[in-house]
Amino acid sequence: MSGKPGYHGVILNIDLSSGKIEKREVAPQDLDNFVGGQGLGMKILWDRLKKPGVDPLSPENPLMFMPGPFSGLPVPSSSRTCVVTKSPITSPLKSDYPHASTVSYSNMGGFFGPEMRFAGYDGIVITGKAKELCYVVIDDDRVEIRDARKFKGMRTDAFDKAFLGELGDRRYKTVYIGPAGENLVPYSSILHTAGRAAGRGGVGCVMGSKNLKAIAVRGSGQPSVADHTRFLAALERARTVLKTSPFAKAMAEQGTASAIVRSSNAGTETVRNFREGTFPQADKIGGDAAKRDVWVRDIACYCCPLACKKSGITKGKYGGVVHDGPEYETGVMLGSNLLISDMPGLLKAIYNLDDLGLDQISTGNVIGFLMEAYEKGMIDRKFLDGIDLRWGSVDATLAMIEKIAARDGVGELAAKGVAALAQRIGQGSEKFAIHVKGLELAAHNIQANQPRALSYATAERGACHLSGDDIATQNKRAVLDSIGLCLFPTFEPALEEPMLSLLSAITGREYDRAEFAKTGERIVNLEKMFNYREGFRREDDRLPDRFFEDAFTIGPKKGAVLDRKEFDLMLTKYYKDRGWDPETTKPGASKLKELGLDSIV
Amino acid sequence: MNRGKEETRGPDERTSFTRREFIKGVGIGGGAIVLLGQFGVHAAAWALSGDPVLKMIVVHYAKCTGCRTCEAACSSRNRPASVAGRELPGLGNPRYANIRVHSFNPDVDVPNVCAMCADTPCVKACPVEPAPKTGRRALYRDQASHTIRNDTGRCIGCRSCAKACATQRTGVISPNPATGKPERICTLCGGDPQCVKRCPFEALSYVEVRRDRKFYGLEPEKIAAELARNWYGTADFGGLK
Repeated sequence: MSGKPGYHGVILNIDLSSGKIEKREVAPQDLDNFVGGQGLGMKILWDRLKKPGVDPLSPENPLMFMPGPFSGLPVPSSSRTCVVTKSPITSPLKSDYPHASTVSYSNMGGFFGPEMRFAGYDGIVITGKAKELCYVVIDDDRVEIRDARKFKGMRTDAFDKAFLGELGDRRYKTVYIGPAGENLVPYSSILHTAGRAAGRGGVGCVMGSKNLKAIAVRGSGQPSVADHTRFLAALERARTVLKTSPFAKAMAEQGTASAIVRSSNAGTETVRNFREGTFPQADKIGGDAAKRDVWVRDIACYCCPLACKKSGITKGKYGGVVHDGPEYETGVMLGSNLLISDMPGLLKAIYNLDDLGLDQISTGNVIGFLMEAYEKGMIDRKFLDGIDLRWGSVDATLAMIEKIAARDGVGELAAKGVAALAQRIGQGSEKFAIHVKGLELAAHNIQANQPRALSYATAERGACHLSGDDIATQNKRAVLDSIGLCLFPTFEPALEEPMLSLLSAITGREYDRAEFAKTGERIVNLEKMFNYREGFRREDDRLPDRFFEDAFTIGPKKGAVLDRKEFDLMLTKYYKDRGWDPETTKPGASKLKELGLDSIV
Repeated sequence: MNRGKEETRGPDERTSFTRREFIKGVGIGGGAIVLLGQFGVHAAAWALSGDPVLKMIVVHYAKCTGCRTCEAACSSRNRPASVAGRELPGLGNPRYANIRVHSFNPDVDVPNVCAMCADTPCVKACPVEPAPKTGRRALYRDQASHTIRNDTGRCIGCRSCAKACATQRTGVISPNPATGKPERICTLCGGDPQCVKRCPFEALSYVEVRRDRKFYGLEPEKIAAELARNWYGTADFGGLK
């Protein structure tokens, strides 16, 4: 509709309160300035939430599924869909608004984003709240809201199968929540193919708050490109680069699981609720062990030559689990972080979390926190509803996972995350409540990795290991999450040229390295303005005391700890380099003008 | 990579395969089973012995990752774009691909492509009177490439070929929703199949097989069930058949 090449120019708006379904044109300058995916989602979020403090679980909060200009084209690894909304899990230390929270975005691979673009949409925006549990079916132009009550409470693996049965065509690509999302656990995930998740930042909780169980999409069209010949040539170069890339080959070998042992050896692993950076039993849950004992297949997302996902079946006491993993994040957060070294037990926990629709990272972090509080005698077994939550206990972990998803007993409090738990438990437990702005940290430990500390502290969605360790990386990754391309292949430096050329050929807008970076900077600054308006300040970019006080006691980085003064100086430099006020973190007027945001914010 | 946990067998055992054992580890072209991969040259020689050969697309299921690059590559060639009067490869809309990857839960992916069946149930089902000169019905086997082709001028869009394919073989033939005329039949891209060329995982090959081979044309669901049983010990794909 916008007539811009590379796009349909159409966002599908579905209001579940009124049942109104509407195709809205995207302003061409929004596509130029914010590209798609995360960036365009942020712009829509800013436009829709005109005032700060909107309750993230209110009908007003939009839940957006955002592919990018690469989606639906056979560009290698262009499989990502970014889910954008206002976070139900973050909060500032001080704010005038009781429901203040950050932006939230979570990114997943698979086939959903490409299929959305086949169906003719650059995004789906869900608002409102259905009276009863419902699902949405999109078949090209035809969009329907249907009753989903019979699927109420269904776990994601069973639902994935049953839903396709209901739809009657395997070509439908689907996203859905599990019981956790229906129960409004703040760190619920959205699942796709029963094994891929938009896990972080509570996107599944927002979906649950809309009484939306699932979305199915099927399409027959395709977006256009601005320069067909240039597109084909750049596509050829991108394919060739990845065919010969040692990095791509390594990802195909073990996916991210190879990092489980590597990171432990480097002292950068999350171990024992972030107390240590090395896990002596890492080899038991690492890539080599999984390859030997579990995996049978490599699985790839749409048009991806990396195939970093590995599926298999486990044997033994916790055996019989047919699922993918461990990956680095899932294997570490449920493995080394909890001192679990039983591979089938670990995979059972991973499977159950996906099945219930819980974020693997936040849940692993929460259980690690509880294990430490229990060990320290700050909470007793009664507090834990009788669960003997000792380090390394698979049974206790599995029991706690069920409690959290159901918000049953101790699960009601644990479902709120480590910040809420520490507040209730007190006794100095906030020191090891490992979150930033309310979102739990991931499987990258930081006592020996100060650059990653910056990533966690400054990420706009709360603690994020992927936002980038410096300004340049942050800007770049904000665009990556906006074009639909996966982060992993871009670790191959030779992909940069074909990637920029592809983006230019598709959109007809010339992207060199500088323009790409500036686009990312614009997106980050809009996110920062959103958070600033909610009341987030420099004191919210804080890290838990553990990282400054508890030096590692084992491993190659024994003795490593962050220096508070150095960290503060690093933050100050970061804000200044960003053109933000180092006292408040507010983006300066000249920076906003430079990025063309002055007329927007 | 985890190219399937295939059972290792020596070439000596090549004559004692059961149908199910074939499916476990080796390739099935559009559902047609041939001997490849770890079975080595001895097995390949056995497969080729005696009979006239036919070149076709063969899938190594243990290598397929379900990425669907084959769909995009096929569509790009067989659905070209017209740009400023020039015919160029298209953008690869998978809806127009002649190969289609069927994906299942648990993780099994089955690329489905024309099996080029020796006994052509699709052609036999075509009710159009054979032309006196060529003996061809609307649907016919091209003698040079051995591919199945449709003479759209004579085709009446009755969907009989698609029905025959669906009930007896892979079900790859799709009638055009508007005209009823058959689509999705492999063209072999004039002898340079793009799906084979572009597969990042070497899961597809363009090889010679015996024309009188015994097994062919299994529907994707049946192949998926065999694979899932072998890999995961289950073949419960839920409600959808």
